[in-house]
Amino acid sequence: MRLGSISLRNLRVRLVATVLTTLSIVLATALYAAILTMSEQTEQRYKGSIGGFQAVVGPKDASQLEVVLNTIFNVDVAPGLFPLQICTDLRAGRMAGRRTQVRYAIPQARGDSVSRFNFPVIGTIDEMFARFEWRYDGETREPLRFQAGGPFAYGYDELLQLADGLAAYETARRTEAPEPRPERPLIQPQWKKAVVGARVARTLGLGLGSTITPVHGKFGEFGYHEHPEATCEIVGVLAPTNSPLDTTIFLPIGLHYLIDGHEGGVFLVETPPGKTPDDARKLPVEAGRMGLTAIVVDPKDHFGARLLRQEFASKEAQVAWPADVIPKFLQQVGNAADALAVIAWLVLLVAAISITVAIYNTMNERRREIAIMRSLGARRFQILAIIVGEASLLSLFGAVLGLVVCHAAMLLLRDLVEDKTGVYLEWLQFRPWELWLVLGVAGIGALAGLLPAVKGSMTQVADNLAHNY
Amino acid sequence: MIHLRSVEKSYSRGEQRVLACAVDRLDIAAGEQVALIGRSGTGKTTLLHILAGILRPDRGEVEIAGERLDRLGEAARDRHRGQHIGMVYQTFNLLQPFTALENVLLGALFGRGAGPDAKRRAEALLEQVGLGDRMHHRPGQLSVGQVQRVAICRALVNDPELVLMDEPLGNQDRTTGGQVLDLLLDLAKRSGKTVVMVTHDPESARRMQRTVDLASLRAGTEVHA
Repeated sequence: MRLGSISLRNLRVRLVATVLTTLSIVLATALYAAILTMSEQTEQRYKGSIGGFQAVVGPKDASQLEVVLNTIFNVDVAPGLFPLQICTDLRAGRMAGRRTQVRYAIPQARGDSVSRFNFPVIGTIDEMFARFEWRYDGETREPLRFQAGGPFAYGYDELLQLADGLAAYETARRTEAPEPRPERPLIQPQWKKAVVGARVARTLGLGLGSTITPVHGKFGEFGYHEHPEATCEIVGVLAPTNSPLDTTIFLPIGLHYLIDGHEGGVFLVETPPGKTPDDARKLPVEAGRMGLTAIVVDPKDHFGARLLRQEFASKEAQVAWPADVIPKFLQQVGNAADALAVIAWLVLLVAAISITVAIYNTMNERRREIAIMRSLGARRFQILAIIVGEASLLSLFGAVLGLVVCHAAMLLLRDLVEDKTGVYLEWLQFRPWELWLVLGVAGIGALAGLLPAVKGSMTQVADNLAHNY
Repeated sequence: MIHLRSVEKSYSRGEQRVLACAVDRLDIAAGEQVALIGRSGTGKTTLLHILAGILRPDRGEVEIAGERLDRLGEAARDRHRGQHIGMVYQTFNLLQPFTALENVLLGALFGRGAGPDAKRRAEALLEQVGLGDRMHHRPGQLSVGQVQRVAICRALVNDPELVLMDEPLGNQDRTTGGQVLDLLLDLAKRSGKTVVMVTHDPESARRMQRTVDLASLRAGTEVHA
């Protein structure tokens, strides 16, 4: 028999009070752990998703944060369009030094989604799977890998050809050119292929050969409609990355432009001075002014990055640097997390006070029990240790249970959290701070038990042995 | 074994000091079995607590098993009590949440330690008093006689030189109580323990080798039964 077993037995004897007090510790610990986990995993998620490439080109009238959040983290709708020519110039080295300064510049166009989960659909080219690197840890660069199948085939040259074809058709249509007019390019069967992220495949139960149909608008909302003409066969499922790529669907960018209803907004048209927008819509369009929502760019080296920073100049587009934007964003998120953490600490403080009150209230009824132990030779410090032990054990149980509750909640809510925030919660991952949290809560519990423990240890032996309570 | 000289203990009651116990001289030899008798209010229990080291006298000398308790601090007296003194109370004072075996082991825990040896000794004692099949029962599941026997085992588990008893038969019928007391005295006699029992029951006192009237101790005389 040890002092600890006396503490344990005392907790069992007062089971209801023990359970209720433990619950408050469980809630406080779970809340604190959840806040820390969310904050940490958000940071990991955001930092882990910006390592493989350096820059994103987006529309000029959006903020850099909007460009980065939308392009990399699928947050909100695309903030605007800018001309395809910028991508062509970047790839040709006309916008940022020599061609060799850019390792890749991959165009993207987004706007549709799939399913009630609103998984975003991104039109892009096959370099996304051949050259794009989603993570770079300082040593190894990680391209996208497939857990099944492979990429679709759609190159930048095909995009340029399509742009020319569409521009010719649109110009003839808008200027009401005499017949015979150029025909609108048609969707080619080989373009109706899609690559889906791991989570999309898992959630929707998709595999190779399955089909998906992009939709316009949000599921169930006004204006929502399907694009059956763009129903695609899945040819590749990406391996999990624990990044927003897991919830993304990639289609050939040409298919995106040929979806019914997209033709009107495909080309950017400037309204010349003295003309109305209606007049502008009757002007010829240029292939180079087909609209993109983003270009993912990776300069070859620091020199290339510097050139891109210094020489990129466009009145319609800007370069956003995730490595600059995300830390500022995370700092703001971190401030909010800090505020929540303060609330969690307050909850923990209240729980600690509840331990003090719960044990203190039992001290009167325990005077005889303590006096008996003292009469058997128990020293004051042993009585102190027994009562502090009760508070510590109670807090320890509560803290461990709180972590279990936190991880269980992560398991249950991970899909919902990912849908709402883009953060994938790794519920099975235990971190070193969790051990410190448990020890810290147990320590706070021990402190909370100190007051009743001192009172208990001061119990007068002779007086209390003489009474039968 | 026990030597008391000019011991006094008083309490405050409001502004008054009330003398609870006064002993000019008391000597009890090792292995003796002594009954301390006296009317209510003569300070029997107070004296027992002074002998146990629970109370410290206001003045006088208290020597138990070669140790001057009046000179020891509280923690040292606690340790001394745990290791050298076993106590049996009128209400037995077992702790309800613990089984019979655990109650006995509590005595060991605060005495010489509750390791595997203590457990074996506790089990052997409980077997010896006929509670081999009741070791894992809680006090509420035992009869008064059984509870008393558990209390005796707890008092003996540290193999103390001195056993102090406070009205050990106060709450039960004479036949059962007498049998249990005989059992304790027999166990104590076989291991040469000194037993001091506070009682106002003449029949219990007669079972002891010597009877000391507390009232007489102030006058410096001892009354032998």
